[in-house]
Amino acid sequence: MVLCDGVISEEDAMINAHQIKGGNKMKQKVSIIFTGLLIVLMLFVVGCAKEEASNEGATNESVAGGENTTNEKSELSGTLTFAIWDNNLNTFIEENDMVGKFQKHYPDVDIEVEKMKDDSEYWNAMKMRASANQLPDIMFNKPFTLSRFQDFLLDIGDTQAAQNNLLAEGYAVDGKILGVPLTSGYEYVYYWKDLFEEANVEVPTTWEEFEQVSLTLQEYYGKDNQDFMALAIGLKDEWPNYPFMEFMPALESGNGENWNRMASQDRPFEKGQDVYEAYHKIYNFFNSGVLGRDPLGIGNDQATSIFATKGAAMIALGDWGLQNIAAGAQDISELGTFYLPARNSVDEPYNVIVQGDSFMGVTTHSTIPEAAIAFVEWFYSDEWYPDYINYVSSDSSMKNFPKEKNSVLAQADQTVSEIQWVMYNGGNDAFSSIQNETTFDYKKLGAEMRIDGFDFETVFEDLNQRWTEAREKLNID
Amino acid sequence: MQSLNKKKKIFIGTSLVIPMLLLIGFVVVPAIDLFRMSFIEWDGYSPDTRFVGVSNYISMFKNKDLWLSLKNNSVYFFVHFFMIFFELGFAVLLNSKIKGAKFYKTMVFLPYIINGVAIAYAFSYFYSPINGAFNSILELLQLESWIRSWLSDPKIVNYVLASVSVWRFSGYHVILFLAALQSIPKDIEEAAKVDGANGWHLFRYIQIPGIMLMVDFVLFDNIRGALQVFDIPFVMTAGGPGYASSTFTLYTIKTAFSFSNFGLASTMAIAIMFMIVIIYIIQNNIIHKVLFKDRGQKND
Repeated sequence: MVLCDGVISEEDAMINAHQIKGGNKMKQKVSIIFTGLLIVLMLFVVGCAKEEASNEGATNESVAGGENTTNEKSELSGTLTFAIWDNNLNTFIEENDMVGKFQKHYPDVDIEVEKMKDDSEYWNAMKMRASANQLPDIMFNKPFTLSRFQDFLLDIGDTQAAQNNLLAEGYAVDGKILGVPLTSGYEYVYYWKDLFEEANVEVPTTWEEFEQVSLTLQEYYGKDNQDFMALAIGLKDEWPNYPFMEFMPALESGNGENWNRMASQDRPFEKGQDVYEAYHKIYNFFNSGVLGRDPLGIGNDQATSIFATKGAAMIALGDWGLQNIAAGAQDISELGTFYLPARNSVDEPYNVIVQGDSFMGVTTHSTIPEAAIAFVEWFYSDEWYPDYINYVSSDSSMKNFPKEKNSVLAQADQTVSEIQWVMYNGGNDAFSSIQNETTFDYKKLGAEMRIDGFDFETVFEDLNQRWTEAREKLNID
Repeated sequence: MQSLNKKKKIFIGTSLVIPMLLLIGFVVVPAIDLFRMSFIEWDGYSPDTRFVGVSNYISMFKNKDLWLSLKNNSVYFFVHFFMIFFELGFAVLLNSKIKGAKFYKTMVFLPYIINGVAIAYAFSYFYSPINGAFNSILELLQLESWIRSWLSDPKIVNYVLASVSVWRFSGYHVILFLAALQSIPKDIEEAAKVDGANGWHLFRYIQIPGIMLMVDFVLFDNIRGALQVFDIPFVMTAGGPGYASSTFTLYTIKTAFSFSNFGLASTMAIAIMFMIVIIYIIQNNIIHKVLFKDRGQKND
């Protein structure tokens, strides 16, 4: 009953309230049922999508390479995705119209180049895409990621690119060539010759000499410049210590398969083993004061910049580092290189790491693997590869396209008469599994060595125990 | 009239279908899948998985680096919590008729709209031990004795990173509080003033209760942000030295992508969700009890 405008009786109010309450309950039930149906629908849709995706893509079989006839070329069509992380490669692709040049031979094949920020983000993205069955048609791998992605890469051993490559066969997994390395990677210690001369030190050829030279440089220049670093290293980023933490165990006795050997041992961090000896040397070196006041406070970018402006006498980087140094330095006429001398005496072989880098491979998720293979063949042909390898500072990996080494990098070959090349293997499946189970992060370990209170023996004993437990849990022989 | 109401309801219902679908597709379903993944062993890219029961949960509780990371998160939480009082005070100040209020509002909000990674990268140079701007400022002020290893000393690195987080997010909280303060009807404040209320009385008995919803939101946002902080430590220190500045989320990401253990990482993500909810409930109860204890006593 309406008593006056907008006002109703108490009885009506109660009836309305009851109706509203009943109506609200009804609405709640409807909402719950509706939401439940939507969830079921979404789960169904997602489940179907996953099943469809897993049915797509090529199987992991050997795909014959070789040249295509004109008829076969014209049949190739579609869009290839080509994922990269390297800035120099990206710039070169853009400036030299890679897609246009490729399409002169394969007019119906388009290429989408996908550039990731850096290799760390690249691996994260590739792992996610692998699980979603959406890897790009062509991807790169490093030596330590080949085993991770082996189930997703086609065997391209029969291609001309693989057969003309210096290193591809050495990285075959179960006899299959899963990637053709773009470059031959060497690691260098870059140094300023004028700083060495002024401090009256010479290029070291043993580890002990390397330590002594570093100490002398630090003392000589450090007294006037408290920010001086005998060896510039951006430990804040952790990864810049890789020339030491990743490669020195292999250099200790010249065994490029060191990580794989560790996977077969219960206590590989025992005293006397390569990794223990190498890391003990590194620990002493990192804590001798030759890395400056606070190496944990600067990253690689800043370390490279400090070195380029002669705020440091040395820096350990790959051949790719030369471009970055040259970009930051006013003049590189005094820039020299030598190989990191890991040997303990001149009577031991001078072991130096060589590794294939940026292994280009075709993934099993490619829906047009023939076109992807054709791209790989073209990329490593005289149409593209020689121009690219001359553009970058890295060395050629192709027998048919040798490259004269950059004059700065070539100096390292002159510092010692006999070099023993150690082909580096990033670790097989067994090693990766144990590494994941024990959370053994050697680059982080290198940075941790600089923290106050780091107890070398305790840490290594802990690593031994965890390694043994992991091998047992994973049932690795 | 009824037809209009019905049309209104149909319109609202229809408009909400797509947001609901998106919410379910991108939030609810992944959350359910996350829970499922916490009971499996999976490296993130193999087609094979293995059911392991609660093994991941046991591993998580035994992982000392993870709980060290959580301890680092608590630094962000308490620093931000402490700053909330200043943010609220600043908002009250901006709400009053001060000169240049618009300028201050813009300046205080500006850091929030800048890309987080760019901020973190810039601050890593700001706190650099070599040619770092912060050390230069201290030297200029004759405070060289205060210079420390800002990004490498495990004792202070988290406070340094938390200060960057405060720089970035304080403005956002100030603007939220300001918006809430401006929504309080002016006549209530005027009536209180007429009754003899001073600035503190206005703040304590009118403004705080009036903006309680916003305070609750900011407190919740503080917990969520503190537990989920990732970009600042990732860019500035990579969680180092060691795990000294690692956070729970950073460690979770590392577990998933560096150590290829998506099952364990999913477990950690579930743990974060529960922690946010539990800490929020506890915090909310405490705050409400403290702020409204007078009301409770008067009603007795």
